[in-house]
Amino acid sequence: MLFDITQLALERAIEGAGKRHEALAANLANANTPGYQRVDVEFHGALASAMERGEDAKGSLHAMTFAPARDGSAGAQRADGSTVDVESESAKLAANALEHQAAVQVAHARIGILKAAMGTGV
Amino acid sequence: MSMFGGMEISASALTAERLRMDVVAENLANAQTTRGADGQPYRRKEVVLQERAASFGASLSAAMSQGSSAGVEVAAIAEDQTPLKRVYDPGHPDADAEGYVSMPNVDTVTEMVDLISAQRAYEANVTAMQAAKQMFSRTLELLR
Repeated sequence: MLFDITQLALERAIEGAGKRHEALAANLANANTPGYQRVDVEFHGALASAMERGEDAKGSLHAMTFAPARDGSAGAQRADGSTVDVESESAKLAANALEHQAAVQVAHARIGILKAAMGTGV
Repeated sequence: MSMFGGMEISASALTAERLRMDVVAENLANAQTTRGADGQPYRRKEVVLQERAASFGASLSAAMSQGSSAGVEVAAIAEDQTPLKRVYDPGHPDADAEGYVSMPNVDTVTEMVDLISAQRAYEANVTAMQAAKQMFSRTLELLR
């Protein structure tokens, strides 16, 4: 078994963070659009529940897709009807980029371990 | 959406915010213009932004319910229909019989606030674009 469930989950996390970045970038792009409802991508929950099921989750991890959804839970609505808060979107964007970086680095390190085991060097 | 969707979204916002800055500059430049292109006093212009639907052909409402967004676009540049300012200046060539001149409805303070708002939004989107760029280059590190 070359790529285990952790490696798969890392790949999904990288993809999910990429999609989430698109959603958060769209929120920032529409910071001055009246009536805009913010969007977000929730990938943590799906990944966490898949990981809990252990090796059985491989199929569902393969089939997992992430789509942006309107965030109905968004708190204060601005006077122009928009639910975008530039500060909070920026903070989420920065955190998401770090999460993406962390997933990439762990995935990279694991690939490095495989390479070392194969004797091809890191 | 392509791999560079995040950057395209931010780019659409940079275009929109730059247009807002251009329109603010136009308003400020014409703050004293009593003869516009139509011979009437200049009226303040305002950019109306709207969300850009994710795919062609899909109606905006359908795209909105799906939650996918492809950034922002300019819906219109509208003229501010608030009344023009009437200034008493009998010596002005455009003064009416009572000596009043209709001046543009441009308020310099409002324009400056709009300018700062557009500038900050532009900066936020530049930051988002830089983050997208870093994420792509980090993903490429997986190949090293």
